[in-house]
Amino acid sequence: MMDAADRTRLRHEFEELLYYEAWLLDNDKLEEWLELFTDTIRYWAPVRGNLEPGREDLSQPHLLAHFDDDKTSLTLRVKRLRTGAAHAEEPRSRIRHFVSNVQILETDGPDRVKVSSNFQVFRSRWEGTEHLFVGCREDWWRRIDNTWRNEERFILLDHNVLENITVFF
Amino acid sequence: MTDWSHLVDLEKCTVSPRVFVDEEVYRDEQERIFGRCWLYLAHESQLPNPGDFVTHYMGEESVLVCRTASGKIRVFLNSCRHRGARMCRLDAGNAKAFTCPYHGWTYDNQGRLIGVPQFKEAYYEELNREDWGLIEVPRVESFRGLIFACFDENAQSLDAYLGDMKWYLDLIFNKTEGGMVVLPGLHRWNLGGNWKLAAEQFNGDNYHTGAAHESMLKIGLGPANGKFLGDRPWVRDFEAKLENGHGWINFKIDMAGGVPAPLAHHMEQIQAAARQRLTPAQSELVGCVHVGNVFPNFSILTFLGFLTIRVWHPRGPYNMEAYSWAMIEQEAPPEVVEIARKMQILTFSPSGIFEQDDGEMWGNSVKALRGIHRRNFPLNYQMGAGHGRTDPDKPGLIHPPSTEIGIFGVYEQWQALMGGA
Repeated sequence: MMDAADRTRLRHEFEELLYYEAWLLDNDKLEEWLELFTDTIRYWAPVRGNLEPGREDLSQPHLLAHFDDDKTSLTLRVKRLRTGAAHAEEPRSRIRHFVSNVQILETDGPDRVKVSSNFQVFRSRWEGTEHLFVGCREDWWRRIDNTWRNEERFILLDHNVLENITVFF
Repeated sequence: MTDWSHLVDLEKCTVSPRVFVDEEVYRDEQERIFGRCWLYLAHESQLPNPGDFVTHYMGEESVLVCRTASGKIRVFLNSCRHRGARMCRLDAGNAKAFTCPYHGWTYDNQGRLIGVPQFKEAYYEELNREDWGLIEVPRVESFRGLIFACFDENAQSLDAYLGDMKWYLDLIFNKTEGGMVVLPGLHRWNLGGNWKLAAEQFNGDNYHTGAAHESMLKIGLGPANGKFLGDRPWVRDFEAKLENGHGWINFKIDMAGGVPAPLAHHMEQIQAAARQRLTPAQSELVGCVHVGNVFPNFSILTFLGFLTIRVWHPRGPYNMEAYSWAMIEQEAPPEVVEIARKMQILTFSPSGIFEQDDGEMWGNSVKALRGIHRRNFPLNYQMGAGHGRTDPDKPGLIHPPSTEIGIFGVYEQWQALMGGA
Protein backbone atom coordinates (compact mmCIF):
# COMPACT_ATOMS: atom_id res chain seq x y z
CA MET A 1 0.00 0.00 0.00
CA MET A 2 1.17 3.48 -0.84
CA ASP A 3 0.58 6.37 1.51
CA ALA A 4 -0.54 9.76 0.27
CA ALA A 5 2.98 11.17 0.22
CA ASP A 6 4.28 8.27 -1.87
CA ARG A 7 1.41 8.65 -4.26
CA THR A 8 2.06 12.39 -4.65
CA ARG A 9 5.74 11.74 -5.25
CA LEU A 10 4.91 9.14 -7.85
CA ARG A 11 2.42 11.43 -9.55
CA HIS A 12 5.03 14.19 -9.75
CA GLU A 13 7.48 11.74 -11.21
CA PHE A 14 5.03 10.79 -13.96
CA GLU A 15 3.97 14.37 -14.60
CA GLU A 16 7.60 15.13 -15.36
CA LEU A 17 7.94 12.05 -17.52
CA LEU A 18 4.77 12.83 -19.50
CA TYR A 19 5.82 16.46 -19.99
CA TYR A 20 9.17 15.24 -21.23
CA GLU A 21 7.40 12.88 -23.62
CA ALA A 22 5.26 15.75 -24.95
CA TRP A 23 8.40 17.85 -25.40
CA LEU A 24 9.99 15.05 -27.44
CA LEU A 25 6.93 14.85 -29.68
CA ASP A 26 6.60 18.60 -30.13
CA ASN A 27 10.27 18.91 -31.02
CA ASP A 28 10.35 16.09 -33.54
CA LYS A 29 12.57 13.88 -31.40
CA LEU A 30 10.61 10.82 -32.46
CA GLU A 31 13.48 8.34 -32.31
CA GLU A 32 14.01 9.29 -28.65
CA TRP A 33 10.26 9.07 -28.11
CA LEU A 34 10.28 5.47 -29.37
CA GLU A 35 12.82 4.60 -26.69
CA LEU A 36 10.18 5.28 -24.02
CA PHE A 37 8.36 2.11 -25.13
CA THR A 38 9.26 -1.48 -24.36
CA ASP A 39 9.71 -3.89 -27.26
CA THR A 40 6.37 -5.46 -26.31
CA ILE A 41 4.37 -2.19 -26.41
CA ARG A 42 0.75 -2.28 -27.53
CA TYR A 43 -0.14 1.23 -28.72
CA TRP A 44 -3.86 1.12 -29.20
CA ALA A 45 -6.64 3.65 -29.99
CA PRO A 46 -10.02 2.02 -30.65
CA VAL A 47 -12.67 3.76 -32.76
CA ARG A 48 -15.57 5.48 -30.98
CA GLY A 49 -19.16 5.22 -32.09
CA ASN A 50 -22.57 6.74 -31.38
CA LEU A 51 -24.36 3.96 -29.56
CA GLU A 52 -26.90 3.56 -26.79
CA PRO A 53 -25.50 4.04 -23.28
CA GLY A 54 -23.62 0.93 -22.24
CA ARG A 55 -23.40 -0.50 -25.76
CA GLU A 56 -19.97 0.87 -26.58
CA ASP A 57 -17.77 -2.16 -25.96
CA LEU A 58 -14.15 -1.25 -26.53
CA SER A 59 -12.99 -4.71 -25.48
CA GLN A 60 -14.93 -6.60 -28.14
CA PRO A 61 -12.75 -8.75 -30.35
CA HIS A 62 -11.51 -7.34 -33.67
CA LEU A 63 -12.85 -3.82 -33.07
CA LEU A 64 -11.41 -1.33 -35.55
CA ALA A 65 -8.93 1.19 -34.21
CA HIS A 66 -7.04 4.28 -35.25
CA PHE A 67 -3.85 2.69 -34.00
CA ASP A 68 -3.13 -0.87 -33.00
CA ASP A 69 0.62 -0.81 -33.20
CA ASP A 70 3.56 -2.72 -31.82
CA LYS A 71 7.14 -1.48 -31.61
CA THR A 72 7.84 -2.55 -35.19
CA SER A 73 4.93 -0.69 -36.76
CA LEU A 74 5.45 2.41 -34.58
CA THR A 75 9.07 2.45 -35.71
CA LEU A 76 7.96 2.15 -39.34
CA ARG A 77 5.68 5.15 -38.92
CA VAL A 78 8.59 7.20 -37.61
CA LYS A 79 10.97 6.01 -40.33
CA ARG A 80 8.41 6.94 -42.97
CA LEU A 81 8.24 10.49 -41.65
CA ARG A 82 11.99 10.67 -42.18
CA THR A 83 11.86 9.76 -45.89
CA GLY A 84 11.01 13.25 -47.06
CA ALA A 85 8.15 11.70 -49.03
CA ALA A 86 5.48 11.33 -46.34
CA HIS A 87 3.41 13.91 -48.18
CA ALA A 88 0.77 14.52 -45.50
CA GLU A 89 3.60 15.74 -43.26
CA GLU A 90 5.58 17.65 -45.89
CA PRO A 91 6.35 20.26 -44.85
CA ARG A 92 6.01 19.12 -41.25
CA SER A 93 2.99 20.28 -39.30
CA ARG A 94 3.39 22.57 -36.33
CA ILE A 95 2.18 20.57 -33.34
CA ARG A 96 1.82 21.12 -29.61
CA HIS A 97 0.89 18.54 -26.98
CA PHE A 98 -0.83 19.60 -23.75
CA VAL A 99 -0.93 17.00 -21.00
CA SER A 100 -3.03 17.29 -17.84
CA ASN A 101 -5.10 15.41 -15.24
CA VAL A 102 -2.29 13.02 -14.43
CA GLN A 103 -3.40 10.32 -12.01
CA ILE A 104 -1.86 7.18 -10.60
CA LEU A 105 -4.63 4.65 -11.17
CA GLU A 106 -3.01 1.48 -9.97
CA THR A 107 0.29 -0.01 -8.92
CA ASP A 108 1.52 -3.54 -9.31
CA GLY A 109 4.49 -3.78 -6.99
CA PRO A 110 7.12 -1.02 -6.92
CA ASP A 111 8.02 -1.31 -10.60
CA ARG A 112 4.68 -1.25 -12.45
CA VAL A 113 2.31 1.71 -12.46
CA LYS A 114 -0.86 2.50 -14.34
CA VAL A 115 -1.08 6.21 -15.12
CA SER A 116 -3.88 8.10 -16.80
CA SER A 117 -3.57 11.52 -18.40
CA ASN A 118 -5.66 13.77 -20.62
CA PHE A 119 -4.23 15.34 -23.74
CA GLN A 120 -4.92 17.97 -26.32
CA VAL A 121 -2.84 17.99 -29.47
CA PHE A 122 -2.99 21.05 -31.70
CA ARG A 123 -1.88 20.61 -35.32
CA SER A 124 -1.39 23.45 -37.76
CA ARG A 125 -0.93 22.02 -41.19
CA TRP A 126 0.63 23.77 -44.14
CA GLU A 127 -1.11 27.08 -44.94
CA GLY A 128 -3.22 26.92 -41.82
CA THR A 129 -5.58 23.96 -41.66
CA GLU A 130 -5.90 23.55 -37.91
CA HIS A 131 -7.06 20.56 -35.95
CA LEU A 132 -7.39 19.65 -32.32
CA PHE A 133 -7.20 16.07 -31.12
CA VAL A 134 -8.51 15.49 -27.60
CA GLY A 135 -8.57 12.38 -25.48
CA CYS A 136 -7.06 10.50 -22.60
CA ARG A 137 -4.42 7.85 -22.26
CA GLU A 138 -4.05 4.99 -19.84
CA ASP A 139 -0.50 3.71 -19.71
CA TRP A 140 1.16 0.82 -17.94
CA TRP A 141 4.72 1.88 -17.15
CA ARG A 142 7.38 -0.57 -16.00
CA ARG A 143 10.64 0.31 -14.30
CA ILE A 144 13.51 -1.43 -16.09
CA ASP A 145 17.10 -0.72 -15.03
CA ASN A 146 15.86 2.31 -13.12
CA THR A 147 14.10 3.79 -16.15
CA TRP A 148 10.37 3.88 -16.75
CA ARG A 149 9.27 2.25 -20.01
CA ASN A 150 5.75 2.20 -21.39
CA GLU A 151 4.50 -1.31 -22.10
CA GLU A 152 0.86 -0.56 -22.87
CA ARG A 153 -0.73 2.65 -24.09
CA PHE A 154 -4.48 2.82 -24.44
CA ILE A 155 -5.63 6.01 -26.18
CA LEU A 156 -9.25 7.04 -25.97
CA LEU A 157 -9.88 9.73 -28.57
CA ASP A 158 -12.98 11.83 -27.89
CA HIS A 159 -13.87 12.02 -31.58
CA ASN A 160 -16.24 10.16 -33.83
CA VAL A 161 -15.52 11.76 -37.19
CA LEU A 162 -11.80 12.42 -37.41
CA GLU A 163 -9.31 14.06 -39.70
CA ASN A 164 -6.27 12.19 -40.92
CA ILE A 165 -3.97 11.36 -38.02
CA THR A 166 -0.36 12.25 -38.71
CA VAL A 167 0.54 12.88 -35.07
CA PHE A 168 1.27 10.61 -32.12
CA PHE A 169 -0.52 10.73 -28.78
CA MET B 1 -31.48 22.09 -66.27
CA THR B 2 -27.96 23.21 -67.05
CA ASP B 3 -26.16 20.98 -69.51
CA TRP B 4 -22.68 20.28 -68.11
CA SER B 5 -21.65 17.79 -70.78
CA HIS B 6 -19.20 20.25 -72.37
CA LEU B 7 -17.00 19.92 -69.27
CA VAL B 8 -15.85 16.48 -70.45
CA ASP B 9 -14.21 16.28 -73.88
CA LEU B 10 -14.65 12.73 -75.20
CA GLU B 11 -12.43 13.31 -78.22
CA LYS B 12 -9.47 14.75 -76.37
CA CYS B 13 -9.95 12.77 -73.14
CA THR B 14 -9.85 15.88 -70.99
CA VAL B 15 -11.94 17.07 -68.05
CA SER B 16 -12.57 20.64 -67.00
CA PRO B 17 -11.50 21.53 -63.44
CA ARG B 18 -15.02 22.90 -62.98
CA VAL B 19 -16.14 19.28 -62.63
CA PHE B 20 -14.29 19.31 -59.30
CA VAL B 21 -14.62 22.85 -57.98
CA ASP B 22 -17.81 24.43 -59.28
CA GLU B 23 -20.57 24.89 -56.68
CA GLU B 24 -23.34 24.72 -59.27
CA VAL B 25 -21.97 21.53 -60.77
CA TYR B 26 -21.79 20.06 -57.28
CA ARG B 27 -25.39 20.96 -56.55
CA ASP B 28 -26.59 19.37 -59.78
CA GLU B 29 -24.60 16.21 -59.05
CA GLN B 30 -26.68 15.69 -55.92
CA GLU B 31 -29.77 15.35 -58.07
CA ARG B 32 -28.45 13.78 -61.24
CA ILE B 33 -25.84 11.41 -59.82
CA PHE B 34 -26.69 10.76 -56.18
CA GLY B 35 -30.39 10.98 -56.97
CA ARG B 36 -30.23 8.44 -59.80
CA CYS B 37 -27.41 5.95 -59.16
CA TRP B 38 -27.34 2.91 -56.90
CA LEU B 39 -25.54 3.87 -53.68
CA TYR B 40 -23.94 1.46 -51.23
CA LEU B 41 -25.48 1.35 -47.76
CA ALA B 42 -24.47 -1.60 -45.63
CA HIS B 43 -23.55 -5.26 -45.61
CA GLU B 44 -26.16 -7.79 -44.59
CA SER B 45 -23.86 -9.15 -41.85
CA GLN B 46 -24.36 -5.81 -40.05
CA LEU B 47 -28.13 -6.39 -39.82
CA PRO B 48 -28.59 -10.08 -38.98
CA ASN B 49 -31.76 -9.81 -36.85
CA PRO B 50 -35.23 -8.31 -37.22
CA GLY B 51 -35.19 -4.82 -35.72
CA ASP B 52 -31.50 -4.27 -36.46
CA PHE B 53 -30.76 -0.91 -37.99
CA VAL B 54 -27.82 1.19 -39.13
CA THR B 55 -27.69 4.84 -40.12
CA HIS B 56 -25.74 5.99 -43.13
CA TYR B 57 -25.79 8.60 -45.89
CA MET B 58 -26.90 8.61 -49.50
CA GLY B 59 -25.07 11.63 -50.84
CA GLU B 60 -25.94 14.30 -48.29
CA GLU B 61 -29.14 12.58 -47.11
CA SER B 62 -29.08 10.81 -43.76
CA VAL B 63 -30.85 7.46 -44.05
CA LEU B 64 -32.05 4.74 -41.73
CA VAL B 65 -31.54 1.16 -42.92
CA CYS B 66 -33.88 -1.27 -41.14
CA ARG B 67 -34.29 -5.03 -41.05
CA THR B 68 -38.04 -5.49 -40.54
CA ALA B 69 -39.83 -8.37 -38.81
CA SER B 70 -40.28 -10.14 -42.16
CA GLY B 71 -36.53 -9.96 -42.78
CA LYS B 72 -36.83 -7.38 -45.54
CA ILE B 73 -34.43 -4.42 -45.65
CA ARG B 74 -36.15 -1.05 -45.91
CA VAL B 75 -34.51 2.34 -46.15
CA PHE B 76 -35.99 5.65 -44.99
CA LEU B 77 -34.83 9.22 -44.84
CA ASN B 78 -33.73 9.77 -41.26
CA SER B 79 -35.91 12.84 -40.86
CA CYS B 80 -39.20 13.28 -39.01
CA ARG B 81 -42.14 14.29 -41.20
CA HIS B 82 -43.26 16.93 -38.69
CA ARG B 83 -40.32 19.38 -38.46
CA GLY B 84 -37.70 17.34 -40.22
CA ALA B 85 -35.49 16.66 -37.23
CA ARG B 86 -32.92 13.88 -37.46
CA MET B 87 -34.74 10.93 -35.93
CA CYS B 88 -32.06 8.50 -35.04
CA ARG B 89 -28.71 9.75 -33.80
CA LEU B 90 -27.12 6.32 -33.33
CA ASP B 91 -24.79 4.48 -35.73
CA ALA B 92 -26.52 1.16 -35.23
CA GLY B 93 -28.78 -0.75 -32.87
CA ASN B 94 -31.96 -2.75 -32.60
CA ALA B 95 -35.33 -1.04 -32.30
CA LYS B 96 -38.96 -1.72 -33.08
CA ALA B 97 -39.76 1.99 -33.27
CA PHE B 98 -38.06 5.37 -33.61
CA THR B 99 -39.22 8.41 -31.70
CA CYS B 100 -38.33 11.88 -32.89
CA PRO B 101 -36.55 13.71 -30.07
CA TYR B 102 -38.20 17.05 -30.97
CA HIS B 103 -41.97 16.56 -30.52
CA GLY B 104 -42.17 12.83 -30.06
CA TRP B 105 -43.67 11.54 -33.31
CA THR B 106 -43.00 7.81 -33.37
CA TYR B 107 -42.55 5.51 -36.38
CA ASP B 108 -42.19 1.74 -36.57
CA ASN B 109 -39.34 0.20 -38.54
CA GLN B 110 -41.59 -0.07 -41.58
CA GLY B 111 -41.85 3.72 -41.58
CA ARG B 112 -45.45 3.92 -40.37
CA LEU B 113 -46.36 6.82 -38.09
CA ILE B 114 -47.65 4.98 -35.02
CA GLY B 115 -47.52 7.61 -32.31
CA VAL B 116 -48.35 11.31 -32.20
CA PRO B 117 -48.35 13.02 -28.77
CA GLN B 118 -51.64 14.82 -28.01
CA PHE B 119 -53.25 13.22 -31.04
CA LYS B 120 -56.69 13.66 -29.47
CA GLU B 121 -56.25 16.95 -27.59
CA ALA B 122 -54.20 18.93 -30.12
CA TYR B 123 -54.95 17.31 -33.45
CA TYR B 124 -58.62 16.47 -32.73
CA GLU B 125 -57.77 13.05 -34.23
CA GLU B 126 -57.92 14.78 -37.63
CA LEU B 127 -54.34 14.04 -38.64
CA ASN B 128 -54.27 11.22 -41.16
CA ARG B 129 -51.29 9.30 -39.81
CA GLU B 130 -51.13 7.08 -42.87
CA ASP B 131 -50.12 10.09 -44.97
CA TRP B 132 -47.22 10.99 -42.71
CA GLY B 133 -45.02 7.93 -42.61
CA LEU B 134 -41.27 8.20 -43.08
CA ILE B 135 -40.10 8.99 -46.60
CA GLU B 136 -38.97 5.70 -48.08
CA VAL B 137 -36.12 5.21 -50.52
CA PRO B 138 -37.99 3.33 -53.24
CA ARG B 139 -35.39 0.86 -54.44
CA VAL B 140 -33.31 -1.44 -52.22
CA GLU B 141 -31.46 -4.43 -53.68
CA SER B 142 -28.48 -6.59 -52.69
CA PHE B 143 -25.62 -8.32 -54.40
CA ARG B 144 -23.61 -10.91 -52.40
CA GLY B 145 -24.71 -9.29 -49.15
CA LEU B 146 -23.88 -5.75 -50.31
CA ILE B 147 -26.99 -3.64 -49.85
CA PHE B 148 -27.52 -0.75 -52.24
CA ALA B 149 -30.40 1.70 -52.55
CA CYS B 150 -31.53 4.12 -55.22
CA PHE B 151 -33.76 7.22 -55.08
CA ASP B 152 -34.91 6.71 -58.67
CA GLU B 153 -37.81 4.31 -58.71
CA ASN B 154 -37.40 3.82 -62.47
CA ALA B 155 -33.71 2.92 -62.26
CA GLN B 156 -32.47 -0.30 -63.84
CA SER B 157 -32.02 -3.20 -61.42
CA LEU B 158 -28.89 -3.30 -59.26
CA ASP B 159 -27.93 -6.46 -61.12
CA ALA B 160 -28.01 -4.64 -64.46
CA TYR B 161 -26.37 -1.54 -62.99
CA LEU B 162 -23.39 -3.51 -61.65
CA GLY B 163 -23.18 -5.41 -64.93
CA ASP B 164 -19.69 -6.77 -65.58
CA MET B 165 -18.52 -5.46 -62.24
CA LYS B 166 -20.23 -8.49 -60.68
CA TRP B 167 -17.65 -10.80 -62.29
CA TYR B 168 -14.92 -8.90 -60.46
CA LEU B 169 -16.80 -8.42 -57.19
CA ASP B 170 -17.21 -12.21 -57.09
CA LEU B 171 -13.42 -12.52 -56.80
CA ILE B 172 -13.89 -11.15 -53.30
CA PHE B 173 -17.47 -11.67 -52.25
CA ASN B 174 -18.14 -15.10 -53.73
CA LYS B 175 -14.83 -16.85 -53.28
CA THR B 176 -15.78 -18.79 -50.15
CA GLU B 177 -18.91 -20.45 -48.87
CA GLY B 178 -19.29 -18.08 -45.90
CA GLY B 179 -18.59 -14.91 -47.86
CA MET B 180 -17.25 -11.76 -46.28
CA VAL B 181 -18.19 -10.36 -42.87
CA VAL B 182 -17.80 -6.86 -41.47
CA LEU B 183 -15.60 -6.38 -38.41
CA PRO B 184 -17.02 -4.16 -35.65
CA GLY B 185 -16.33 -0.45 -35.83
CA LEU B 186 -16.14 2.15 -38.55
CA HIS B 187 -13.44 4.52 -39.69
CA ARG B 188 -15.09 7.80 -40.36
CA TRP B 189 -13.12 10.91 -41.27
CA ASN B 190 -13.22 14.19 -43.15
CA LEU B 191 -10.92 14.84 -46.05
CA GLY B 192 -10.25 17.75 -48.28
CA GLY B 193 -10.91 16.99 -51.94
CA ASN B 194 -13.78 16.39 -54.31
CA TRP B 195 -15.41 12.96 -53.93
CA LYS B 196 -14.63 12.05 -57.55
CA LEU B 197 -10.89 12.27 -56.97
CA ALA B 198 -11.11 9.41 -54.47
CA ALA B 199 -13.54 7.45 -56.64
CA GLU B 200 -11.39 7.74 -59.77
CA GLN B 201 -8.26 6.69 -57.92
CA PHE B 202 -9.90 3.45 -56.75
CA ASN B 203 -11.47 2.98 -60.17
CA GLY B 204 -8.16 2.78 -61.97
CA ASP B 205 -5.22 4.85 -60.80
CA ASN B 206 -2.18 2.69 -60.34
CA TYR B 207 -0.04 5.48 -61.78
CA HIS B 208 0.02 7.43 -58.50
CA THR B 209 1.64 4.69 -56.44
CA GLY B 210 5.25 5.42 -57.33
CA ALA B 211 5.13 9.12 -56.43
CA ALA B 212 2.35 9.39 -53.85
CA HIS B 213 3.50 6.28 -51.96
CA GLU B 214 7.21 6.77 -52.51
CA SER B 215 7.72 6.81 -48.74
CA MET B 216 6.53 3.21 -48.49
CA LEU B 217 9.05 2.06 -51.04
CA LYS B 218 11.76 3.97 -49.19
CA ILE B 219 11.07 2.16 -45.91
CA GLY B 220 10.83 -1.24 -47.55
CA LEU B 221 7.17 -1.84 -46.81
CA GLY B 222 6.32 -1.96 -50.47
CA PRO B 223 6.66 -4.58 -53.17
CA ALA B 224 9.98 -6.43 -53.47
CA ASN B 225 10.42 -5.28 -57.07
CA GLY B 226 9.89 -1.63 -56.11
CA LYS B 227 6.74 -1.31 -58.22
CA PHE B 228 3.09 -1.77 -57.41
CA LEU B 229 2.92 -4.02 -60.44
CA GLY B 230 3.44 -7.69 -61.20
CA ASP B 231 5.14 -9.36 -64.13
CA ARG B 232 2.13 -10.72 -66.03
CA PRO B 233 0.67 -7.75 -67.92
CA TRP B 234 -2.74 -8.19 -69.60
CA VAL B 235 -3.22 -11.60 -67.95
CA ARG B 236 -3.05 -10.97 -64.22
CA ASP B 237 -1.77 -7.40 -63.94
CA PHE B 238 -4.33 -5.20 -65.59
CA GLU B 239 -7.04 -2.62 -65.24
CA ALA B 240 -10.55 -3.11 -66.53
CA LYS B 241 -12.82 -0.33 -67.71
CA LEU B 242 -16.36 -1.52 -67.02
CA GLU B 243 -19.79 -0.34 -68.08
CA ASN B 244 -21.67 2.35 -66.14
CA GLY B 245 -18.45 4.01 -64.98
CA HIS B 246 -17.19 1.16 -62.80
CA GLY B 247 -13.54 0.09 -62.81
CA TRP B 248 -11.14 -2.50 -61.46
CA ILE B 249 -7.38 -2.74 -60.86
CA ASN B 250 -5.79 -6.15 -60.49
CA PHE B 251 -2.17 -7.04 -59.85
CA LYS B 252 0.00 -9.35 -57.86
CA ILE B 253 2.87 -8.15 -55.74
CA ASP B 254 5.41 -9.88 -53.55
CA MET B 255 6.00 -7.86 -50.44
CA ALA B 256 9.60 -7.03 -49.61
CA GLY B 257 9.24 -8.43 -46.10
CA GLY B 258 7.05 -11.40 -47.04
CA VAL B 259 3.75 -11.99 -45.23
CA PRO B 260 3.14 -13.58 -41.82
CA ALA B 261 2.90 -17.38 -42.05
CA PRO B 262 -0.69 -17.71 -40.76
CA LEU B 263 -1.86 -15.20 -43.36
CA ALA B 264 0.02 -16.96 -46.16
CA HIS B 265 -1.58 -20.26 -45.10
CA HIS B 266 -5.04 -18.70 -44.93
CA MET B 267 -4.67 -17.19 -48.41
CA GLU B 268 -3.73 -20.58 -49.83
CA GLN B 269 -6.87 -22.07 -48.32
CA ILE B 270 -8.98 -19.26 -49.73
CA GLN B 271 -7.52 -19.80 -53.18
CA ALA B 272 -8.31 -23.51 -52.94
CA ALA B 273 -11.88 -22.72 -51.86
CA ALA B 274 -12.23 -20.22 -54.72
CA ARG B 275 -11.30 -22.84 -57.29
CA GLN B 276 -14.36 -24.80 -56.22
CA ARG B 277 -16.70 -21.87 -56.66
CA LEU B 278 -15.38 -19.59 -59.39
CA THR B 279 -14.42 -20.06 -63.03
CA PRO B 280 -10.79 -20.96 -63.80
CA ALA B 281 -10.18 -17.44 -65.15
CA GLN B 282 -11.53 -15.92 -61.94
CA SER B 283 -9.68 -18.35 -59.66
CA GLU B 284 -6.38 -17.26 -61.22
CA LEU B 285 -6.99 -13.75 -59.92
CA VAL B 286 -8.00 -14.60 -56.35
CA GLY B 287 -5.32 -13.48 -53.90
CA CYS B 288 -4.16 -10.55 -56.01
CA VAL B 289 -4.41 -6.93 -54.95
CA HIS B 290 -7.87 -5.79 -56.04
CA VAL B 291 -8.90 -2.16 -56.13
CA GLY B 292 -12.18 -1.01 -57.59
CA ASN B 293 -14.97 1.50 -57.62
CA VAL B 294 -18.67 1.09 -58.24
CA PHE B 295 -19.81 4.38 -59.71
CA PRO B 296 -20.31 6.80 -58.15
CA ASN B 297 -18.63 6.47 -54.75
CA PHE B 298 -18.33 2.90 -53.43
CA SER B 299 -14.72 1.72 -53.34
CA ILE B 300 -13.00 -1.47 -52.34
CA LEU B 301 -9.40 -2.40 -51.75
CA THR B 302 -7.99 -5.74 -50.71
CA PHE B 303 -4.35 -6.06 -49.89
CA LEU B 304 -2.34 -8.30 -47.52
CA GLY B 305 -5.40 -10.18 -46.29
CA PHE B 306 -7.64 -7.25 -45.42
CA LEU B 307 -10.54 -5.77 -47.32
CA THR B 308 -11.59 -2.18 -46.84
CA ILE B 309 -14.90 -1.15 -48.34
CA ARG B 310 -15.67 2.52 -48.25
CA VAL B 311 -17.99 5.26 -49.38
CA TRP B 312 -16.77 8.76 -50.26
CA HIS B 313 -19.66 10.98 -49.24
CA PRO B 314 -19.81 14.34 -50.99
CA ARG B 315 -19.57 17.31 -48.61
CA GLY B 316 -19.45 20.25 -50.98
CA PRO B 317 -17.09 20.44 -53.94
CA TYR B 318 -14.01 20.74 -51.74
CA ASN B 319 -14.62 18.14 -49.06
CA MET B 320 -15.72 14.59 -48.53
CA GLU B 321 -16.43 12.33 -45.60
CA ALA B 322 -15.11 8.79 -45.77
CA TYR B 323 -16.83 5.79 -44.20
CA SER B 324 -14.59 2.73 -44.25
CA TRP B 325 -15.26 -0.73 -42.87
CA ALA B 326 -12.97 -3.72 -42.52
CA MET B 327 -14.09 -7.07 -43.89
CA ILE B 328 -12.65 -10.55 -43.97
CA GLU B 329 -13.69 -14.04 -45.03
CA GLN B 330 -16.14 -15.54 -42.59
CA GLU B 331 -13.83 -18.58 -42.44
CA ALA B 332 -10.75 -16.63 -41.28
CA PRO B 333 -9.42 -17.80 -37.89
CA PRO B 334 -9.10 -15.11 -35.17
CA GLU B 335 -5.33 -14.99 -35.53
CA VAL B 336 -5.63 -14.12 -39.21
CA VAL B 337 -8.39 -11.59 -38.54
CA GLU B 338 -6.02 -9.79 -36.16
CA ILE B 339 -3.16 -9.73 -38.67
CA ALA B 340 -5.46 -8.35 -41.37
CA ARG B 341 -7.17 -5.85 -39.06
CA LYS B 342 -3.85 -4.44 -37.84
CA MET B 343 -2.54 -4.25 -41.41
CA GLN B 344 -5.62 -2.26 -42.49
CA ILE B 345 -5.22 0.11 -39.53
CA LEU B 346 -1.53 0.65 -40.29
CA THR B 347 -1.98 1.18 -44.01
CA PHE B 348 -5.54 2.29 -44.89
CA SER B 349 -7.17 4.06 -41.94
CA PRO B 350 -7.19 7.75 -40.94
CA SER B 351 -3.69 7.14 -39.54
CA GLY B 352 -2.77 4.80 -42.40
CA ILE B 353 0.63 5.23 -43.93
CA PHE B 354 -0.79 4.86 -47.44
CA GLU B 355 -4.11 6.57 -46.72
CA GLN B 356 -2.56 9.82 -45.48
CA ASP B 357 -0.73 10.35 -48.75
CA ASP B 358 -3.81 9.78 -50.89
CA GLY B 359 -5.95 12.16 -48.86
CA GLU B 360 -3.26 14.81 -49.05
CA MET B 361 -3.32 14.68 -52.86
CA TRP B 362 -7.10 15.02 -53.18
CA GLY B 363 -7.07 18.09 -50.96
CA ASN B 364 -4.12 19.54 -52.86
CA SER B 365 -5.91 19.20 -56.17
CA VAL B 366 -9.03 21.14 -55.26
CA LYS B 367 -7.00 23.84 -53.52
CA ALA B 368 -4.96 24.35 -56.66
CA LEU B 369 -7.90 24.07 -59.08
CA ARG B 370 -10.34 26.46 -57.50
CA GLY B 371 -8.73 29.60 -58.86
CA ILE B 372 -10.80 31.37 -61.48
CA HIS B 373 -7.98 31.24 -64.04
CA ARG B 374 -6.78 27.67 -63.44
CA ARG B 375 -10.23 26.26 -63.96
CA ASN B 376 -10.15 27.30 -67.64
CA PHE B 377 -7.40 24.79 -68.44
CA PRO B 378 -8.44 21.15 -68.76
CA LEU B 379 -7.02 18.12 -66.94
CA ASN B 380 -5.36 15.36 -68.91
CA TYR B 381 -6.87 11.84 -68.91
CA GLN B 382 -5.23 10.63 -72.14
CA MET B 383 -2.92 7.91 -70.83
CA GLY B 384 -3.40 4.74 -72.84
CA ALA B 385 -6.42 6.05 -74.74
CA GLY B 386 -7.16 3.82 -77.73
CA HIS B 387 -4.86 1.01 -76.56
CA GLY B 388 -7.34 -1.04 -74.52
CA ARG B 389 -8.33 -4.54 -75.66
CA THR B 390 -11.12 -6.93 -74.95
CA ASP B 391 -10.20 -10.34 -73.56
CA PRO B 392 -12.22 -13.55 -73.92
CA ASP B 393 -11.27 -14.53 -70.34
CA LYS B 394 -12.56 -11.49 -68.55
CA PRO B 395 -15.03 -8.68 -69.01
CA GLY B 396 -14.28 -5.05 -69.71
CA LEU B 397 -11.80 -3.09 -71.74
CA ILE B 398 -8.40 -4.30 -70.53
CA HIS B 399 -5.03 -2.58 -70.34
CA PRO B 400 -2.05 -3.18 -68.04
CA PRO B 401 -1.27 -0.52 -65.44
CA SER B 402 -0.67 2.28 -65.85
CA THR B 403 -3.52 3.58 -67.92
CA GLU B 404 -6.33 6.11 -67.60
CA ILE B 405 -8.76 4.26 -69.83
CA GLY B 406 -10.85 3.15 -66.87
CA ILE B 407 -10.62 6.44 -65.01
CA PHE B 408 -11.84 8.36 -68.01
CA GLY B 409 -14.82 5.99 -67.99
CA VAL B 410 -15.86 7.64 -64.71
CA TYR B 411 -16.13 10.95 -66.56
CA GLU B 412 -17.88 9.42 -69.57
CA GLN B 413 -20.52 8.16 -67.16
CA TRP B 414 -20.51 11.49 -65.33
CA GLN B 415 -21.07 13.28 -68.61
CA ALA B 416 -23.92 10.97 -69.59
CA LEU B 417 -25.69 11.81 -66.32
CA MET B 418 -24.83 15.52 -66.16
CA GLY B 419 -26.20 16.56 -69.55
CA GLY B 420 -29.24 18.78 -69.58
CA ALA B 421 -31.77 16.13 -70.46
